[in-house]
Amino acid sequence: MSHARPRVDAMKSARPGPTRTAPPRPPDGFPGARASAVGAVPPGREKLRSYLAFGFGGFFLMSVSLLVLRAVWALGNGEAAWSRVQASLQNPIYVIFHALAFVWLSWFVLRLFRLFPATQPRRIGPLRRPPDAVLVGGLSAAFVGVTLALAAILSGALG
Amino acid sequence: MRRMLLVLEPVIWLLFSAGMMVGGLLLPAWALVMGVAGPLGIAPAATSYDHVYALASHPLGRLVLLAAIALPLWGGAHHLRHVWLDFGGLRSDGLVGTLCYGVALLGSLAAIVAVARL
Repeated sequence: MSHARPRVDAMKSARPGPTRTAPPRPPDGFPGARASAVGAVPPGREKLRSYLAFGFGGFFLMSVSLLVLRAVWALGNGEAAWSRVQASLQNPIYVIFHALAFVWLSWFVLRLFRLFPATQPRRIGPLRRPPDAVLVGGLSAAFVGVTLALAAILSGALG
Repeated sequence: MRRMLLVLEPVIWLLFSAGMMVGGLLLPAWALVMGVAGPLGIAPAATSYDHVYALASHPLGRLVLLAAIALPLWGGAHHLRHVWLDFGGLRSDGLVGTLCYGVALLGSLAAIVAVARL
């Protein structure tokens, strides 16, 4: 159990609801859990890191979207503007950033899919919910398929 | 301002979940091809104005681009705001939330203009 001080929830409603709930508090060792005096690593430490890395995926979502916007804006301005954007993307910093964004966002969406089964009801319409492995595997396969298809279209190999 | 953010929470959640899904599905391929393979010369067509303009100016291409820009902006904004809250930034939530969603709103409006100009 966490011994951190409770803090006000940003999503707390203006009026108290019928069910009493404990004030939210961060888990022990948040954000960077360290080994205790006896050397034990707090349980769930890896989950905290994974949770934070998932949250920082928002940075890549926003920054890559803004880079797409920049490219589309340049497309509308004509070939010279497009060439200037392409020349700037040759910068190694941009290349490294995009490679990192590819890895981070791929991990991000695969982790999102792993969370998906927990959000589904026991029955989906008239059918029983498929096993979790089928849901996660199907979504992950869809991600791989969409990524390969888009990569092929963008690179001119398809379409 | 935080009160307004609370009122808008259901709409923001809708955009957030759509943004995570759309951004997660579309942006890795863009980052890989347009940001890595194109500049490194592995996919020369990805840097060609004619090729990319033909894709982007197609009605379906405009729709995909609009979704790939606007929705992940909202998803990312909501994620970053909550990372800030997780680190104890409750006092500045109104400012940070407004900043994050403001970027998402301006980016979404700019995306509409950008795809309309193609």
